[in-house]
Amino acid sequence: MDYSRTLRNNNKIYCRTTSKQNELQCCDDFNIRFVLSGSESYHLGRRHLSIHPDSFLILNKGTQYASSVLSNDPARTFSINFDQKFLVDFKNCWLQKHDRLLNRQCFSQKIEEEFNETIYPFRGDIKYNIFHLKSHLDNGVQDELLINEYLHHCLINYYKIYNDEIFEKAEKLNFLNSSTRVEILRRLNLAKEYLYSNFNTNVTLEDLAEHACLSVNHLLRTFKQAFNLTPHQFLIQLRLQRAQLLLKTTPYSINEIVGMVGFECPSSFIRLFRTHYKVTPLKFRKNA
Amino acid sequence: MRLKYIPVYAGSFEEQLSFYTDKLGFKIVSKIPFYEGAECTLLETGNYDVLLAISKRNLHTNLKSCIILNTDDCLSDHHTLKALGVEFFTEPQYQPIGLVAEFTDPCGNKFVLLEERDYNN
Repeated sequence: MDYSRTLRNNNKIYCRTTSKQNELQCCDDFNIRFVLSGSESYHLGRRHLSIHPDSFLILNKGTQYASSVLSNDPARTFSINFDQKFLVDFKNCWLQKHDRLLNRQCFSQKIEEEFNETIYPFRGDIKYNIFHLKSHLDNGVQDELLINEYLHHCLINYYKIYNDEIFEKAEKLNFLNSSTRVEILRRLNLAKEYLYSNFNTNVTLEDLAEHACLSVNHLLRTFKQAFNLTPHQFLIQLRLQRAQLLLKTTPYSINEIVGMVGFECPSSFIRLFRTHYKVTPLKFRKNA
Repeated sequence: MRLKYIPVYAGSFEEQLSFYTDKLGFKIVSKIPFYEGAECTLLETGNYDVLLAISKRNLHTNLKSCIILNTDDCLSDHHTLKALGVEFFTEPQYQPIGLVAEFTDPCGNKFVLLEERDYNN
């Protein structure tokens, strides 16, 4: 079911099924984009970011982007545009109470804004809240106070994720100088979003390092420091997680899924899946 | 053995009963003489077989309780109850178990509105 809602305070919510390519456009507001099924690819300047149902994308006001659907089936997308005033009110009332978030000396407002435009994991509270909100909207709920309550909580959840993904990770880096930490983390984020977006291709460490503007050694060392995983472990985990989703939600055969998530042979996929989740892919599908 | 009744302290019986039935939407199941001379009203709180028991006399239930109500959607229920005039003393907060908001009934029993969330998936 496709719909769009513009609330009285100018927050906008869109729920769409799309299979076409969208021309270059400009974001009117800060917005959060989710893909509920299928996958979408976004082009932001030279960056190519793809979103799957396990991740979401933040776009700032004024960002230019073009999007297209990656999956064979149409993508079901859900996005929220936050009015500037709503955001400012949120920041004033909520972030001041929780000034441990975002108010750290080494991160100015400017850094916050240029940092956030990337892919984040879609799980936990934000996922629960978005699904609740969507089910209310699907059922035609008109109460704007309630809808705004969910939007407020989405922002709380987003800032929590932002804090976990950016600040906490930056602090794990072993550099004394905070601006070095910020710069390295920015590059590691480039590497991470490259993995998120190219998870099903044959990613080499050299490609990844080049994309992140780091040397291979530097990348390996700092990636592990920040994310507790090597890039390779991160990639395997991502592939397995997306395979799990495909097993659960689509009728594709195991062999097809193996190819779709970028593994080369079914036997190594099955072995990895079993070690990771203590269950074989087929059993997992049966129980899902 | 299983949990069946939870006696709840009631300061003002009528006020308490109307709070439970009108605002929280509990349904009166039956009345039973629980203790000698004290009739208890049993309230159903959902599709569960645990019932709340409130009575006019509180010789046996003179302690305030803390009752945890389970919900599928804490934000929505919080919003509905607030609109009905229930006073929350904590807004929905994220806890390791899920989303939690707390309110009290007219005589001070604490209610926790809990939406359990599975963070492992």
